[in-house]
Amino acid sequence: MILLFRIASANLVAARGRSALLGSAIALVTAMLVLLLSLAGGIEDNLVRSATTLSAGHVSVAGFYKAKPSDATPLVTEAAAVEAILRENTPGLDYIVRRQRGWGKVISPEASLQAGLSGLDYAAETRMFGQLELAAESEYVKDGGASAPGDFTKMQDQGNILLFVNQAKRLGVKVGDTVTVQTETQGGQTNTIDLQVCAVARDVGLLSSFAVFTDARDLRELYRLNDDTTGAFWVYLDDIDDAEDVMNHYRTVFEAKGYRIMDHVPAPFFFKFDGVSGEDWTGQKLDFTIWSDEVSFLLWVLTAFDTLTWSLSLILLAIIAMGIMNALYNAVRERTKEIGTLRAIGMGRFQVLGLILMEALLLGLMATSVGAGVGAVTALGLDALHLDVGVDAMQVILLADTFHFVVRPLSLVTAVFLLTLLTGVAALWPALRAASLRPVVAMQAAE
Amino acid sequence: MSALGLILTLAWRSVLSHRVKSLVIGSLLFAGTFVVVLGNALLDSVEEAMQALIVDSLAGQFQVKEADTKDQLSLFGGFGLGSADIGDIPAYEDVEKAFLAVDGVEHVVPMGVTNATVFGRNEIDQVLVDMRDALREGRPDDARLGAERARRIVEALASETATSEALADAATFAKTQEAIRIASEPTFWQAFEPTTSGSTGAPDQDQARDPLGALDFLDARIAPLASDGRLLYLRVIGTDPQQFVKVFPRFRLIQGQVIPPGKPGFLFNESTYQELVKNRVATELDRLRKGYERDGDRIADDPLLQQRVKRMAQQYRRVTFQLDPQEAVTLEAALRAELPAVEGDLDALVQAFLTVDDSNLVARHDWFYAHVAPLLPMYDTPVGGTITLRGFTQSGYVRAVEVPVYGTYLFDGLQDAGLEQGSNMVDLVTFRELYGKMSERAKDELAGIKAKVGVKEVSRADAEAALFGGGGEVEAAIAEPQVVNVNLDAVRAQDPFERSFPPEDLRRGLVLDAAIRLTDPSQAAALRPELERVAATLGLEVLDWKEASGLLGQIVTVLRLVLLIAVAIIFLVALIIVNNAMVMATIDRVPEIGTLRAIGARRSTVLGLFLTETAILALVFGGLGAGTAAGLVTWLGQVGIPAPAKQLVVLFGGNHLYPAVGVDDLVFGLVAVTVVALGSTLYPATMAARVPPVVAMRGSN
Repeated sequence: MILLFRIASANLVAARGRSALLGSAIALVTAMLVLLLSLAGGIEDNLVRSATTLSAGHVSVAGFYKAKPSDATPLVTEAAAVEAILRENTPGLDYIVRRQRGWGKVISPEASLQAGLSGLDYAAETRMFGQLELAAESEYVKDGGASAPGDFTKMQDQGNILLFVNQAKRLGVKVGDTVTVQTETQGGQTNTIDLQVCAVARDVGLLSSFAVFTDARDLRELYRLNDDTTGAFWVYLDDIDDAEDVMNHYRTVFEAKGYRIMDHVPAPFFFKFDGVSGEDWTGQKLDFTIWSDEVSFLLWVLTAFDTLTWSLSLILLAIIAMGIMNALYNAVRERTKEIGTLRAIGMGRFQVLGLILMEALLLGLMATSVGAGVGAVTALGLDALHLDVGVDAMQVILLADTFHFVVRPLSLVTAVFLLTLLTGVAALWPALRAASLRPVVAMQAAE
Repeated sequence: MSALGLILTLAWRSVLSHRVKSLVIGSLLFAGTFVVVLGNALLDSVEEAMQALIVDSLAGQFQVKEADTKDQLSLFGGFGLGSADIGDIPAYEDVEKAFLAVDGVEHVVPMGVTNATVFGRNEIDQVLVDMRDALREGRPDDARLGAERARRIVEALASETATSEALADAATFAKTQEAIRIASEPTFWQAFEPTTSGSTGAPDQDQARDPLGALDFLDARIAPLASDGRLLYLRVIGTDPQQFVKVFPRFRLIQGQVIPPGKPGFLFNESTYQELVKNRVATELDRLRKGYERDGDRIADDPLLQQRVKRMAQQYRRVTFQLDPQEAVTLEAALRAELPAVEGDLDALVQAFLTVDDSNLVARHDWFYAHVAPLLPMYDTPVGGTITLRGFTQSGYVRAVEVPVYGTYLFDGLQDAGLEQGSNMVDLVTFRELYGKMSERAKDELAGIKAKVGVKEVSRADAEAALFGGGGEVEAAIAEPQVVNVNLDAVRAQDPFERSFPPEDLRRGLVLDAAIRLTDPSQAAALRPELERVAATLGLEVLDWKEASGLLGQIVTVLRLVLLIAVAIIFLVALIIVNNAMVMATIDRVPEIGTLRAIGARRSTVLGLFLTETAILALVFGGLGAGTAAGLVTWLGQVGIPAPAKQLVVLFGGNHLYPAVGVDDLVFGLVAVTVVALGSTLYPATMAARVPPVVAMRGSN
């Protein structure tokens, strides 16, 4: 084996021109694959980050309350009792927040927009405000200054509202201005409240078009709800990958305690009204979801991008496979004499086969490692540049307004492994050809 | 033999003699051309299909709107949820005249898009309307019968609202209970007892017998508690319906009739109507059957479908609650005959009936439409009825307007596109009431008319209400947290079918944008500069279909970009591989080249020989690749590519894309591949050309 390895390396060095050319092609494809995988990783990262900041916890505990069968009110009653159970029964719990939920129109003197209203309790939000960044005034006001006015801590008082850049721009408001929030109930009532813009945050991906934040007490007043009623509990875990296990654990725990639980439907709560209002139960039922359920309507983007990445990679792999095959075929032909000699001095067919394969794999491994390194560095560099996406439709696909790359060790290993393996497979035919040479004929042919 | 002929002969021989190299390079070129031609042909076809769809359904060849507005026009909706501010077209009649004067412009259609909300009407609303009509028309007995129905609803509400204590804050809960308490007292209902003829009661008794006051109380305090209806958000296009139907060939009326000239009216989009307005059990059965027949979905294989069936069965009340006692008996008997094995009452029977599986889905769907559907009001808002649209005006007022529903329509090709693309239609006069903003000229005109007929000046605060009079009312002003009850009765008091307006009003007043249709669509590019010149003088801008359809129009651009990047990457890698293969071949052929040089071939001849070899490969294999792609596209053009998801229906211009390959796609593919191939040969060819005769001859020894 070691002998094979040494002969193989010597051969690669001897044919260094050809090795370099072929190797650079393999490296290029690896780098390309790593770059695409990093972009896919970036999209996923955007999705997770914006989803778990704006739309859901790692696990969301919500539900519907029906005073009569045709109702569908997305509320959790007797919230304190539910929260106590959650605190006791969450393995790997980081923290829990309550979110009041609403849907309404935000109106400024200039314009209006529909948005999901999120009522929060400032003191409990240990993470969210760390994820948000105050926007410079110039980002949403024409001729605005470079300073970033506003103060997230004001969110601890009632009467304030937190907007995102895209909303402030549309509404034509800046920090300190007043907007009116108006909600409609199914009974045809219109409730309104005036709130002061206390901060304008930079957009967190697309989802921030739909969400505005205000104090939970304001929303409770707007909807005339009592203090022990909330919209949802957002549970954050030490490891987001445990979300599904924790959700299933909750189902057993709450079922055992006599709570009624809705069937798990992997969809955001606002897709469930229609179904719930047609069901014939009354009272409270709890609904458990994980973060990806609440943004399930965006998951197609990930699927589409992954499909694109892998089909492009497949075409590229096919191309370089042909290149490898051709190169090694030539090498075998050129070295017919050498191989004949090796066979004549007693090397077995399998060893010849192994030798050629070893050459290919060695070249593949080196080239893919270099390629993966180059790809990773390029991805990190591009990520640091925060390049603007520009086109709206592209923002929808990337779920952000700048290009974001995340380099995962796993995707590097996958790329290196896959492409090295491919190199080996492509070398199979030339290697078999070499192995099938008969010593005498081979030496004759070389004459 | 000429030098060129010699090179060609030599090159051809060489291509044939180095078979493996030729095949490797050739197959790469084949694949490259195939991908480029296929990708371009498909994208071109998508663009053409989309263009046809958008131009012929809503956009026209061009759209005009006010220049430099805050938001871009997005005819099919953007992903934002606000109503876009796209400005408005001042003095529409003049604008229309100016554009019609341009040679080649056939039609100019006024338009505007806004959002409206609709509350599904609940039972008590209906009862109260009937009672009010009865009182107004002097039918006290009918009013008393209505009161009986209302009283039963209040009884039901009393038990239901008691459970809402878990939810509501104390003050609201107390207020609710207070309202229920008042409405539950027997004395309250005495107001609707007919007075004994001839006798006039004491003044305070008359007070007690104030049926209209009692009705107002029920309307204001009780009706909102019965929040039964469903809230719909609708996109609404305001236009001149009669003209629209004539001008846009994709418009297809499904039910009812087009809004008559000079009448306010509403047309549902058929998708909206089927998905959101229809009885939900029926909608779900429709969906299941469609999935079963069109997409081959099987309930037995899909846990999500099983859950949907389970939830549909739980919705049995959407059937049973709609029946009067007689109908309930009829249905129960029919169901018992159909499902002899099922025990229990009607509720149980309906649940069992709705628990469908793969074997009985189609039969039950048919049975439902044959036996159940005729007993139910299938739609919340039937064609021929009226709908109350509520719009948020630009200044934040809520406006409500009741209009007749004349029918439903679709754009051909968008049948299965889903709700996202569904726009409903109203006449422009109603649209203006919903949108709540008048163009300056319209205001001036109105002021002028008022001055003529001597109408008193209205205060600024009342102006909006006065100007948009119509059927609307100003309902809620912006203020401190408050609860404002919406009183729709004043709106309903007028018969919406009777209302009318002079047809020319459609062109007078607010218009947001306008579609321009050309006599000859192929002249679009040539006419654009002239249209832009006219637009500039009016402070307007001209948009083509792609620019006017917002996000949707950008998708094609993005797809093209993605294809371009992908092809560039593929070609780059192919270039390296081909280069690599050629270099190896060149090294192989050093003796041959040396011999050629030794017998007098010049460097340029060697270079030419190598390039010619590649050109032959590029033309032969590239041609094959282009041919195969063209064949595939042509075949797909005959069978059609079904849209894999409803989001793609718009891109495909319908349920199927019928792609066609253009000469330009073929030429582009071949040229691109030849350039790439020659590029990758350049280095090995110069390398070969540099081989000196002596070295070459020596090498062969």
